[in-house]
Amino acid sequence: MRRPVIALLALVVALVSASVLPAPAQDKPRAGGELVFVVPSEPPSYDGHQEETFGVTHPVAPHYSTLLRVDPFDKTGTKPVGDLAESWTISKDQLTYTFKIRRGVKFHDGSEMTAKDVKASYDKMLNPPAGVKSLRKEAYQAIASVDAPDATTFVLKLKYPEASMLLNLASPWNFIYKADILAKDPKWYEKNIMGTGPFKFVEHVKGSHWVGKKNPDYWDKGKPYLEGYRAIFISNSAAQVAAVRGERAMIQFRGFSPPERDSLVQALGPKITVQESPWNCLNFVSMHHEKKPFDDKRVRRALSLALDRYEGSKALSKITLVKDVGGIQVPGTPYATPPAELEKLAGYGHDINKNRAEAKRLLREGGVPDGFAFTFKNRGIPHPYEPLGVWLIDQWRQIGLNVKMEMIEASAYHPMLKRGDFDVAMDFQCGFIVEPDLDLPRFISTSDANYGRHKDTVIDDLFSRQGRATDPEERKKILRQLEKRLLDDEAHVIYTLQWHRTIPHLSKVKGWTITPSHYLNNQLDTVWLSE
Amino acid sequence: MTKYLIKRFLLMLPTLFGVALVTFLLIRVIPGDVVELRYSGDRGAVSQEILDRERARIGLDRPVWQQFLTWIGGVVRLDFGTSMWTGAPIWEEIKLRFTLSLQLAIMATLVAVILAIPLGVLSALKQDTWVDYSVRIFSIAGLAMPSFWLGIVLILVMLVVFKWLPPMVYTPFWQNPAQNLAQLIWPALAVGYRYSAVATRMTRSAMLEVLREDYIRTARAKGLMQKLILSRHALKNAMLPVLTVVALEFAFLIGGLVVTEQVFNLNGIGLLFVQAVAHRDYTLLQALIMLVAGSFIIVNFVMDIAYAWLDPRIRYR
Repeated sequence: MRRPVIALLALVVALVSASVLPAPAQDKPRAGGELVFVVPSEPPSYDGHQEETFGVTHPVAPHYSTLLRVDPFDKTGTKPVGDLAESWTISKDQLTYTFKIRRGVKFHDGSEMTAKDVKASYDKMLNPPAGVKSLRKEAYQAIASVDAPDATTFVLKLKYPEASMLLNLASPWNFIYKADILAKDPKWYEKNIMGTGPFKFVEHVKGSHWVGKKNPDYWDKGKPYLEGYRAIFISNSAAQVAAVRGERAMIQFRGFSPPERDSLVQALGPKITVQESPWNCLNFVSMHHEKKPFDDKRVRRALSLALDRYEGSKALSKITLVKDVGGIQVPGTPYATPPAELEKLAGYGHDINKNRAEAKRLLREGGVPDGFAFTFKNRGIPHPYEPLGVWLIDQWRQIGLNVKMEMIEASAYHPMLKRGDFDVAMDFQCGFIVEPDLDLPRFISTSDANYGRHKDTVIDDLFSRQGRATDPEERKKILRQLEKRLLDDEAHVIYTLQWHRTIPHLSKVKGWTITPSHYLNNQLDTVWLSE
Repeated sequence: MTKYLIKRFLLMLPTLFGVALVTFLLIRVIPGDVVELRYSGDRGAVSQEILDRERARIGLDRPVWQQFLTWIGGVVRLDFGTSMWTGAPIWEEIKLRFTLSLQLAIMATLVAVILAIPLGVLSALKQDTWVDYSVRIFSIAGLAMPSFWLGIVLILVMLVVFKWLPPMVYTPFWQNPAQNLAQLIWPALAVGYRYSAVATRMTRSAMLEVLREDYIRTARAKGLMQKLILSRHALKNAMLPVLTVVALEFAFLIGGLVVTEQVFNLNGIGLLFVQAVAHRDYTLLQALIMLVAGSFIIVNFVMDIAYAWLDPRIRYR
């Protein structure tokens, strides 16, 4: 009898020791090896300034540096650090940002990178020449001008203070290009690669793979650790899982579903490590404010009150990509809603019976009869849309609504939202950095993506004020007001559950930290292989 | 014969034009377009102005008839334009994938022919014996199992039993034959087995019919060796319908292995088809349909010529 007890104690001691003792010697980065990873999508073009898909950042980002980047070891993905910027200062009036650019950084062709290249890259993003697209322009409305007075100084002047500016400059899309190339052909970067990043370009075989090799002249001496990387394009999710399971690939940086994670853990045991994080992607419900009865905030509120988010989280997180109950910012990030405040919002309280009784009362008050029928339009994509949609209509059924779900084919889905051809529809967004200025613009009255067509000057004003509030505590207060207005008082939209990012990867992949965004942390300079 | 060939060749042109016109119109009936899909991505916040500018840049703002005339004018010059999704020339997009699909089609055809002809002949010769029943069970099983399902089973067996997976990246045969075959042999077996089942059934029934013909009885009465009767008189004549089946299957394999290519992650024409439809990449999709239609038409043309060579009674005027 004593032996098993002693063995159990020994096991407990071993586990506790493992968690508190200093990292073993093998955690020291080891040089060499090729990282092989799966990319579920392929880059339409190579120019980050004009693309929106992770299909670009995953294979292309290792070739480039940006002015700032998000700290690759910060799990919240919200801490800007210098990349080509060695340091920076911000003027007292918060209108002038002066960056000191690193010396001795070289492009992959051996030429020196200077502030002139940074300026040319930002010029291209902010004021693209005729025939050149920029999807970054709208994010930098606050910028009045950019300048490079000398080789190591880059100056950015703003029209008004913007709290998110530094983080916004750490955008993973803002590759720094070579000024001379841009001057000759501003479209050159659509089909070619020439950066200052940790890896040089080797080849891209369309539909098949992308290869990069170590840049021996990378400015951060000693990095990258890898000899190179190989991105394999696999769109089919079963084939992606098979690739990791068969050890043909080591990681897929976007995310796997819980059942896929479980099958990999079961098959590979200790050879697999799982990193998880709330994901900066969210499905929310848009209700058409120009259609009855959804023009009535009591009805919209009732629809939110019907949802048992906490039980839904437990059930849905086993089968699909959603999990975390959150407000307007990803839980665990600087501007996230504290749980005590979250519970005060409509549909976030823990007493579901009370919530649903209130929902039924509001429906009666709003003149909505028991058994009222409407169609919920959802996007024709299995995860997480389908299970989330099934859950929603079940929740609404429990307050006496009779909801039919209509799945809209993926390419017809956005036109449907834009036309306003719905009563209630699933909407979604994914952000590349958790930051209110980047995540919330779609809720202002004039946004092209305000599909529910609400007109609310209070929201517009709060959004503008929070963006200019440079004191974080003051900004939090304004954001809580905006959140209450958006999700509770007016219930313009209904947030469902935050997506949950799950990355099971071979345990030999080290030096990579999950963040809430699948667009971040793909430069690979910190990644190494333990075997 | 030459006159016939020229006539057949000229008949291909209206067929291809019909295919071009129908596909051009049909794919524009599907809701959504390439611009919508590319720029209304995860954040869904791209302004209408950018969308309109992009539509104008790739010509989607012009009337459909103008778009068709521009495109068909290019096709006549064998210029299929550029992909609306990637901006790369269509031939660049298709080249590598076509090489893979063609090799897979050839390998699957070889597997099918190597299995089907001996088994079909054996089955016919040993009609209603245990050999015939075994071959029939084998071929009916092949017909009943979809090749992608067999592919999934093959992958699972390799993963679970042998802890091994075929390479995920295509290596051309001339660069590394071993690596190339290690990747393609499995889908070739999965596809070739189903394909052989059709050809085995056809070979068996054609052989049974031919073996009952008067000229075979005459050959036997003359005392000819069984081997000679089979190879010179029976098999050659029984091959006509078999050849038709094999040829049509071959043409189908060029663009029809959509699911199998996904299962094995093969960068082939089938997968490109799916991507082109998903991205509403009209120019690429039209080019792919023309490629597959062209493959069918050419294979049919070659078959017509082969008939005459196989059966001297067939003469074209």
